[in-house]
Amino acid sequence: MGKAALFLILGFVPALALAQAPKAELACKSTGTDFVYDCTIRLSRAGKPLEGAQVTMSADMPSMPMAHNVKPVKAQAGQAPGEYRAKLDLEMLGVWAVKLRLAGPVRDLLVLHYEFDSSGATPAKR
Amino acid sequence: MSDLAQNTLDGLFAGSSYALLALGFTLIFGVLRRVNLSFGPAIMLGCYAATWTQLNFGAGLLLLAAVAILGSVLAGAYVERLCFAPHRRGSAIAAMVASFALWMQLEELATLALPRHIYDFPPLYAGAPLEFGGLSLRVESLVMLAAAGAACALLWWILRRTRFGIAVRAVIDQPEAAQLAGISVPRTFFATFALASAIGGLAGFLISASYEQVTPMLGMWSTLKGLLAMMLGGLGSLPGAVLGGLALGLLEAHSQWFLGPQARDLIAYALLFVLLAARVPWMTTRSAS
Amino acid sequence: MDDYAIGVLTNIGLVSFLALSAYLLLIAGEMSFGQQAFFGVGAYAGGILTAMYGWPLPLAAAAAMALGALAQFLLGLPTLRLKGLYFAMATLAAAEMMRILFELFHFQRLIEGETVGPDGTQGFRGIRWVFERGVEPIEYLGIVYALLALALAAFLFLERSRLGATLRGVGEDPELAAALGVDIDRLKLGVAAAAGALAALGGVLFAHHNTYIEPRNFDIMLGVHSLAYALIGGLGTALGPLLGVVLDIGALEGSRVFQGYRMIVFGGLVALLLVWRPRGLLDERTVQWVKQRFS
Repeated sequence: MGKAALFLILGFVPALALAQAPKAELACKSTGTDFVYDCTIRLSRAGKPLEGAQVTMSADMPSMPMAHNVKPVKAQAGQAPGEYRAKLDLEMLGVWAVKLRLAGPVRDLLVLHYEFDSSGATPAKR
Repeated sequence: MSDLAQNTLDGLFAGSSYALLALGFTLIFGVLRRVNLSFGPAIMLGCYAATWTQLNFGAGLLLLAAVAILGSVLAGAYVERLCFAPHRRGSAIAAMVASFALWMQLEELATLALPRHIYDFPPLYAGAPLEFGGLSLRVESLVMLAAAGAACALLWWILRRTRFGIAVRAVIDQPEAAQLAGISVPRTFFATFALASAIGGLAGFLISASYEQVTPMLGMWSTLKGLLAMMLGGLGSLPGAVLGGLALGLLEAHSQWFLGPQARDLIAYALLFVLLAARVPWMTTRSAS
Repeated sequence: MDDYAIGVLTNIGLVSFLALSAYLLLIAGEMSFGQQAFFGVGAYAGGILTAMYGWPLPLAAAAAMALGALAQFLLGLPTLRLKGLYFAMATLAAAEMMRILFELFHFQRLIEGETVGPDGTQGFRGIRWVFERGVEPIEYLGIVYALLALALAAFLFLERSRLGATLRGVGEDPELAAALGVDIDRLKLGVAAAAGALAALGGVLFAHHNTYIEPRNFDIMLGVHSLAYALIGGLGTALGPLLGVVLDIGALEGSRVFQGYRMIVFGGLVALLLVWRPRGLLDERTVQWVKQRFS
C-alpha cells in the first residue's frame, strides 16, 4: 500500500518511454464441452516471437463490461517460440473481449476482440 | 424524388412494426400505469419458442405465428404475476425494477435454449417485392401495415363494444370506483397484459419473418422501439402509439438515407429529448410518475 | 488473494461509483437511466488525458470528474421540469445520444510511432498509464476502494446533515419543500453535478483498469443495472447501492454452481425480494430501525 501512496505522489513523474508494445494473435477451437475452448496465443514484439512471458487470459463481454467474470487462466508455454496455450471457459457465445495480461520480461494488458461460436473463434468484425 | 418515396415506403414498414410494439406497451402503461421492461424479452421468448419449433419440427408459418403469440402471452402472464400483481397497490418503481430482473431472467432462458447469436427464420413471403412506378414495395410491408391496422381496429372494437373493454376503460378512469362497481381490477390488469403480450407476439413474429432472422437483441430492441414510439406519440394514447410508431419509422428511414445509420438513431433520440424538454402538451397530459 | 478475486472486487468497486451516482439522484426524487453516459465521459476524458497528453492520473481524474459534473449539469438544465418516467426517458435518450457520439468520435495522435486515441466503434486502446508505472492489481484495488471509501464518507456525512434531509424532503414531496422555501432548481442541479462527477470518477478508474474502452461498454444495460442496484440494495443509506452491487457481481462468484443459470436464479430472487421489500433491502424503514436499535 505504501507503494500505492508513493505512486500517487510520484504520479507526476513521467513514465519510462515504453519500447515496442507486444502484439498477440489468438486461435481457439471448441473442445466439445459447451463454451470451453482450447486456445493458442502467439505473442510477438517488434516482429520477433516473445518468449518467456507469463500470460494470464480472461475475457469480458463488451456490452456488459463487468457482468461476466471469466476465471483467468495461466497459459502454458506451447511448442513454438512465442506460443502459449490455455483453456478458456466462457458463459455464452458471441463477441468477447479477450484479455491477455502479460508479466515477465514485458508487462502489458492486451485486449483482443473475437467472436466465439460453436466451433471456435474468429476475429470479430467491427 | 423517387428516393424520398422509396424511403417513405420503407419507413412505413418499420413504422408499422414499431406501431404494433407501441400498442402493446401503451396498453400496459395506459391501464396499469406501469412501465414493463420485460415487454421485449417476453416477445423474444415467444419468437424463440417459434424458432425452436421450426428447428425441431419444421412447422408452417401459421403454426409458428401461433407459437410466437402463445409464447409471448405465457411469458407476459408470468411477468404480470411476479412483477405487477404484487405491486398493484404499491410502488410503480418496484414493479419496474422487478420487470428488469425478469428481463435478465427471460433473456438468459432464451439464450440457454438457443445459444447462437443468430437464427434463420422462415420468410413471411418468399416472392419478389412488388414493383410499380420505379418503387419497390415488399409484400411484408403490406402485411405489417395491415396487421397494425387490424390490431388497432381490434382494440377499438374491444374497448368500445365488449364488456371487457368497458371494464378496462372504467379501470383507466376510476380504478377505485370500478372496483366498487364490481369490476375485478386484478383480473382486468391480467387480461390487459395478456392482450398486450399477444399483440407484441404478433409483432415479433412478423418482424422475425420479415427479416428472416432472430437474434438475442430482439428483446431490448423491441422494448426500446416500443418505448420510443409510445413516448413520441403521447404516453397512454392508443392512436398516439400508432402515429408515434409510424412517425418513428419514417424519421429513421429518411435519416438513415441522408445521414447514415448512426444519424438515424441519433436523430430519433434527439427528437424525443427535444420534445420532452419542451414539454410538448401531447406528451405530458397523462401523469407518468 | 488470487488475480480472479482481485478482478471481481475491483469490478464491484468500479460499478459502485455508478450505483452511488444513480442513488444520489434517486433520493432527490429523480430516476435516471443515463448515468452510464457520464461513466463514459469520465472514461474517455481520463483516457485521453493520460494516454495522449501524458497527464498524471490524479490530475486526469480530477479533470474527468469536472467534465462529468459539467455534462450532467448541462443535461439537468433542460430536464428540470420533467418528472418520473418523462425524466427517465429523457436521460435514456441523452445517454444513447452520448453513446452514438462516442461511436462517431475519432481523435488520434501519433505517439512514439503508434497511433493512440479513440477510434469510434473500434474503441480506445492503450490506456496504460497505470501499467507503465508498474502498479500491481492489488494496489489498484486499494486505490479504487480508498476513493470509494471517501465517497461513502461524504455520503454518510450528507445523510446526517441538513442538506441531506432537505434532499430527501425534495425527493419525497417537492411541493412541500418548495412551499417551505427550498430552491428546488438549485438543489437538483447541484445533485446532478455531483452525480455526474461520481459517475465520471468511476469511469476514469474503469478505463485505466481495463486499458481499453469502447462505446459499447457504456450502453443501456450498464445504466439500467446500476439503477437496479440502488433500488434493490435499498434507498435508506449509501450502503444500499453497494449492497446491490455486491449481491449481483459477488453472487457471480458464489454461483459458479449456477454456471449459465445465474441470471435465471438471481432475476427470480430479485423479483421475489421486491415483493417483500419494495423499496429495496436497506430501505428507509430498515435503516431507521437499525439506528434506533443501536442508539
